[in-house]
Parts: sequence; structure tokens; C-alpha cells
Amino acid sequence: VFQAGPMPKHVAFIMDGNRRYAQKCHVERQQGHSQGFDKLAQTLRWCLNLGIQEVTVYAFSIENFKRSKEEVDGLMDLARQKFSRLLEEQENLKKHGVCIRVLGDLPLLPVDIQELIAQAVLATRNYNKCFLNVCFAYTSRHEISNAVREMAWGVEQGLLEPSDVSESLLDKCLYTNNSPDPDLLIRTSGEVRLSDFLLWQTSHSCLVFQSVLWPEYSFWNLCEAILRFQMNYGALQKARDSYMEERRRQQMERDQDYVTRKLQQEGCASHGDSRRRRTLLQKCTAMREERIQGFLQALEHKRADFFERLCTVSA
Amino acid sequence: RQRCRADGRALRKLPVHVGLVVTEEEPSYADMASLVVWCMAVGISYVSVYDHNGIFKRNNSRLMDEILKQQQELIGLDCSKYTVEFANQDKTGQVLNCQSTLKVLSPEDGKANIVKAAQNFCQLVAQQQRTHADLDVNVLDNLLSSTNGFPDPDLVLKFGPVDSTLGFLPWHIRLTEIISLPSHLNISYEEFFSALHHYAACEQRWGK
Repeated sequence: VFQAGPMPKHVAFIMDGNRRYAQKCHVERQQGHSQGFDKLAQTLRWCLNLGIQEVTVYAFSIENFKRSKEEVDGLMDLARQKFSRLLEEQENLKKHGVCIRVLGDLPLLPVDIQELIAQAVLATRNYNKCFLNVCFAYTSRHEISNAVREMAWGVEQGLLEPSDVSESLLDKCLYTNNSPDPDLLIRTSGEVRLSDFLLWQTSHSCLVFQSVLWPEYSFWNLCEAILRFQMNYGALQKARDSYMEERRRQQMERDQDYVTRKLQQEGCASHGDSRRRRTLLQKCTAMREERIQGFLQALEHKRADFFERLCTVSA
Repeated sequence: RQRCRADGRALRKLPVHVGLVVTEEEPSYADMASLVVWCMAVGISYVSVYDHNGIFKRNNSRLMDEILKQQQELIGLDCSKYTVEFANQDKTGQVLNCQSTLKVLSPEDGKANIVKAAQNFCQLVAQQQRTHADLDVNVLDNLLSSTNGFPDPDLVLKFGPVDSTLGFLPWHIRLTEIISLPSHLNISYEEFFSALHHYAACEQRWGK
């Protein structure tokens, strides 16, 4: 039991080193990836035992499509195997309340894999004891661009005003919108870069780079990372709080400017009637909230539709 | 100066853009100035300076004075003009004798800049000059103004005990190597150069 600070609630992993492991052990790359998968399953169990409720993993990057056809096909086959296996384990998933989400530009994947994913996601969508987010056909830049595109779609549909666009709204348009930001991001194999993974969400996360190759990851490695998180906790909390405070302040400033302009249009002196100002501010904020709720609901429907359509196709 | 240039050439690879990220609460202008001057001397073309409280940005002229002073001391440049850019302001200085450019950044150049680009794009959509489908990764990349003219950082030297980038250019650091140093206070040229050496040894596979 750790006493140096709280446990992280959400841990993200860049599971790097499968191929170097395979080379080291003189086995095929495919074996390396397979061992990597087993290690993932084991790590998830450790996290659950430690009370870490949410885990996000980088399983396949859009950049990985650049690999040889043989390797990409191998990884797709592994995905087929594992997602099918997952669907067979529905009783277990239900028992442990595991909600599975798959995040990425899914239309880039073979359709049969999209269908398997859709089934897994829909079957577990109401479970809430723990959460596994698998980034597949994912890059952070694609995710952020997608979020901006969705907001632009909202404007096109007449659901949003351009001035509704904010950091917090963008947060809600990311694939990860149902998750809190990761507390801790772990990358194995000694590389010290983020490789286009959760760039937005990890801006204030504890980053831990470990030299162990992913298939050799141990419980002790996990403990080391958690300890680092705990040692950083105070400083990160402070930085996050002051960032959020600044963000709130800027939003308030923007809102006040907006109200000032509106009052000037009405012909009132901007320093005048403070009650009028307050009322107007409340009204604008409430209307914005309403627009945003409407937009987010529409976005939610669009996403649910995407998965449901895939399931009816395969039925 | 000659030694620095030679050192730079001796490295297998030199970063084109280095981000100097301070996570310590009390930044030191003198030490940061040293780091900036060493980067320029070694031949690094783009340098950015960042702290999450925006202290360097707010006190930019103090930093500049320190840099000028150190340039003259350490390298003996008599003409110490260079281009200084503040993100979000169009304040270009004069032309350079050393071929390096400096930017002083803060959190507003990160997520806030992405949001600004998003707002601008949505404004165009509202005016029916664009459709939502027009926006892809490249379009968004081009709309970001915080690092106008700068390539993405190849390397971040992160100083201080905090294991986080604390909001430094989230979009731009997708492939950036992040090398941590315990502190920027009283930093030595040897420590700085050793980090560059470490960077030169990194193998990048670009997803392949």
C-alpha cells in the first residue's frame, strides 16, 4: 500500500517495445505483439487490484499503417482474434462491470474489425465499475482535428455559435470525452516522446518513461510509476488548479466584454445599470449552456448511430 | 564561440528547434539566458523558452537584456541583434547576425491557441466560407499561430522536478524528445551539451 500520495484514478500506457523484445528473444515480431497483448491483460488485472479504475492504451497508431503489409495484417489479425475473444467473455465483462471503449478514426479499419469493435462497445456501454479505452487507428492530432470539425459541424447545423467554442467544449468533443484526463502516462522501452498520443489530455499529467520493454513489464515497474505520480501529485495539482483558474478568468472576461457590447447596442451606458448587466450575463450564459447541451446530445447520437449501424449490418 | 560551433558539428544530429521548459517555480533569467546563448552558439536555429506561469513572457525585456549581456560576454558578438518574436504579437525585431530565432512562450500558446484557431475556423463556417469537412490535420496545423515560422520542436529540455510538460505546446510536441534535467539553476555548459549528446543518440522510427 502506497502512502506517498493518492492512487491515480486513470493511467495511460504507451506499450512500446514488442518488436525489440521479439528481436531480443529471437522470435517472430508477431510473437512479440502477442506477448505484448498478454502483458496488457496482466497489467489491467494489476490496475484493478490496485483500485485504478480507468486505463487507456495506445494499441495502434494511424502512423503504424506505414509498416509492412505483413506486419499490419498480422496486427489486424491479432485485433480480430482479441476482440472476438472479448465478445466471448461477455459474462466476465458483465461480472466485473468493464466498459470498453475504442477510440480512433475507426472508418480507417477493415469493416469486419469495425463490426467487432461496435459489438464490444455496445455490449459494455452501460457497465461502469471500470473502464478500458483502447486507442486504435488513433493519433492525437486526428482526434483534436476531429473535435474541431465536430464543433464546426455544430455551427453548420445551427446548434452552436462560433463564440461557444472554448477549451471546455473542445474537451467534450474529443474521443475521450467520457473520461477524466489521465493522472499518469507511462511509456515503456526507453523512448522519451509522446508519439501523438493524448497530447491534449496529458498536458498536466505525470509523465513516466521507463526503459523496460513492454512484454517484460512487471508489477514492480507499475509500482515505481505510481510512486513517481505520488511524488509529483502536489506540484501537478497546483499547476492544474492555477491553469483552470486562469481559464475561468479569461472566460469571464470574454463574457463581460460580450455583455458590454450588447449593452452598448441597447444604448445603455456600459457602467450603468449593474442589475441589467448581471441579468444579461446570466441570460447569455444560460442560452449558451442550452445550445451546448443540444449540440452535445446531437454529437452523442451521431456517435451511437455509427456503432449501431455497424451492428445491424453484421446481424 | 568557435568551440561551440565545433561541438555542434560534432554531434550526429543537432535539433532544429529546442524548447527550454522550466518547471521550477522561480525562474532564473541569467541561467535561462546562458541556455539560450549556448543553443545559438552551437547552431540551433530555433529556440523557445517556456514556463507555465508565463513569468518569462511577462518579463520578456529582462530576459532579453540578460541574453544580450551574455552574448557579449560569452561569445563576443558585437552586433547582438536577433529576431525576437512574442507569440500572439507581431513584434519582429531586427535582423540577425546569428542565424537563430527565439520565442518566449506561455500556456496561452498551447491549448488556448488551438481554441482560437478553432473559433476562427467556425467563424468562417458561420459565414459559409468553409464547410466542416474542410478541416483536417494539415488545415488546423496551418491555422495555429503560436509558432509561426517555427518547425515543431525536435527536443524539449525540461528543467526541474516536475514530471510534466505543464501545457507546453501540446499540439506541436507530438514527436518531440523530452529530456529532463534536474534544474536550470547554475546549469553548466557540460550538462547542457550532454543532453544534446543524449538527443543525438535517440532512434526515431516514425511509427514504422
